[in-house]
Amino acid sequence: MGIENIIWRNRVLGIKLHRHPKLKSPVMIIGWPGIGNIGIIAVNALRELTKAEELGEIESYEFFPPSKVVINEGLLEKLEFPTNKFYYRSIGGKDLIFFIGEEQPRRQATSDYADGEEAYRMANLVLDVAEKFGCRRVYTSGAAVSLMHHSMCSRVWAVPNTKHLLGEIKGYANTILMSEIEGRGGKGQITGLNGLLLGVAKKRGFDGICLMGEIPIYLQGLPLLYPKASKSVLDVFSGMLGINIDLSQFEKFVRQSEKNIEKFYSQIPSEMRSQLEKLKETCQVETTELKPMTEENKKKLWEEISDFLKKGSKGDEEAL
Amino acid sequence: MRKPFRCTARPELKTSSLVVGWHRDTGNVAPMVTDFLNSSLGSRVFCEIEPREFFSFGGVSVEADIIQFPESSFFYNEKTNIVVFKSDQPNFQHYKFLNTVLDIAEQFCHVKELYTISGFLSPSSLHDSPRRILSVFNQPAFREELQGYGLEDMTWEGPPAISSYLLWVAGRRGIPGVSLWPEIPFYLGAHEDPRSAKSLISFIDKRFGLKFDLTGFDSMIQEQEKKITLLRQGNAEIDQVLKLLENGIPLDEEEQLKLVKEIYTCLKKEC
Repeated sequence: MGIENIIWRNRVLGIKLHRHPKLKSPVMIIGWPGIGNIGIIAVNALRELTKAEELGEIESYEFFPPSKVVINEGLLEKLEFPTNKFYYRSIGGKDLIFFIGEEQPRRQATSDYADGEEAYRMANLVLDVAEKFGCRRVYTSGAAVSLMHHSMCSRVWAVPNTKHLLGEIKGYANTILMSEIEGRGGKGQITGLNGLLLGVAKKRGFDGICLMGEIPIYLQGLPLLYPKASKSVLDVFSGMLGINIDLSQFEKFVRQSEKNIEKFYSQIPSEMRSQLEKLKETCQVETTELKPMTEENKKKLWEEISDFLKKGSKGDEEAL
Repeated sequence: MRKPFRCTARPELKTSSLVVGWHRDTGNVAPMVTDFLNSSLGSRVFCEIEPREFFSFGGVSVEADIIQFPESSFFYNEKTNIVVFKSDQPNFQHYKFLNTVLDIAEQFCHVKELYTISGFLSPSSLHDSPRRILSVFNQPAFREELQGYGLEDMTWEGPPAISSYLLWVAGRRGIPGVSLWPEIPFYLGAHEDPRSAKSLISFIDKRFGLKFDLTGFDSMIQEQEKKITLLRQGNAEIDQVLKLLENGIPLDEEEQLKLVKEIYTCLKKEC
């Protein structure tokens, strides 16, 4: 599928590029919404901090229904769709392309994640732009739901789409591979486009890595942001790309969110909180200096937490 | 690429006007209008959009004891050049679906203008008062052309209905169009509103010079008003609530719900 717009009957479907900069082996960094929006917050922050400029977009009509209509004095002025935009920036001798998708295309309105033919097409269109500018490496970013406590440092789980990147990843700070997570045996699942895009990239010969910031299991699905995990991803990006970025504003954002999380945590019934406190004993030896929990103990703890959540939801709806 | 539609006849229309109505419309206005047009004009079906790509097949719904299945059918009448599209709203690939509607209308019927019909819930409109038709155009010139038909301009921002989406797609393809939104008193929204359907048909009648016999709608309106009058006579609370509305006093949520429930029950059954 080429970069040219795809014409089917009277329709124009595809990519609109506003500029055609000459870029030297750029890397592409991609963000979509997901659990806690950890990936997209990290990628969007990096885009803003590097002052990346708009490059183009993928037309949304084929992928998303409109989100808003503006009607003024009997005239339909505007129909708004979720945006899918590309940005670019040269910084510290590195050329970067960003792609930010406001939504993942999905067949079922009830799902938050991409699936089906549309998702596959979207992944290919993103890679068409990468190819057009000579990019051969792409990064996606998301969340890793983890049996951890929110007071702990969020690590970054890294999953490449090719074996030869494993060595490189081992050199990244605060980053672990799936095989280093106890009990996983190097296996896992990356839901939605953060995973699918890397699969399509593999098929098309691109190197790709997914970086996932850890979020405590009890915070996933809550309407609370967890930028601490995004910050860990940002740190990996800046180290890996060798670029200096001022993260002071972002750190403020992290501190503010930690206050909100602590407030929420203090409202959890003490019985439940004492269960969650045990998560501090999980495997992050380097930060807690405690012995790592065994898989059996972790499983038992999670069963206790799940039971408690079930009880809480019946007896006290405000508990969580 | 397999065509997403199946045609059974080829209309010989050099030009046409496309009227679009969706099933399960507020106040059942769109089905009443499109069914009336098709039966009064003796329109014939000529094409159907295949549901495969556009609808969910996790099961079927049952309504009034009958199994329902997605339907997206085109009807035509060569004498008036009116093409009617009656359809369920798609679950998937809305953009492709709406373009397919316009592909068919352009390729087989040389459509020159689009009219969409959708009921619009009004918090203040009354069952026995005249209905306003609010309108949204995709081209200023078409709005000018329809001055004098008693349409009122709509101003609104928010989530778009499928009619607005179709109007926008038509605009991108250079097809002038208007979305017609007759006001429906909120307490008739769950049942049907023949007065709104009549106001819409009257507009179409005038626009195309069709000279329809609308006495059937008059009978439905009289019958509905009679039922509501009887309900008011037998239910002081509902009478009081309707009096508040008649005096322009807004209802609280509890009063609204009570009115909707009582009117729905009354019109659905004998009351």
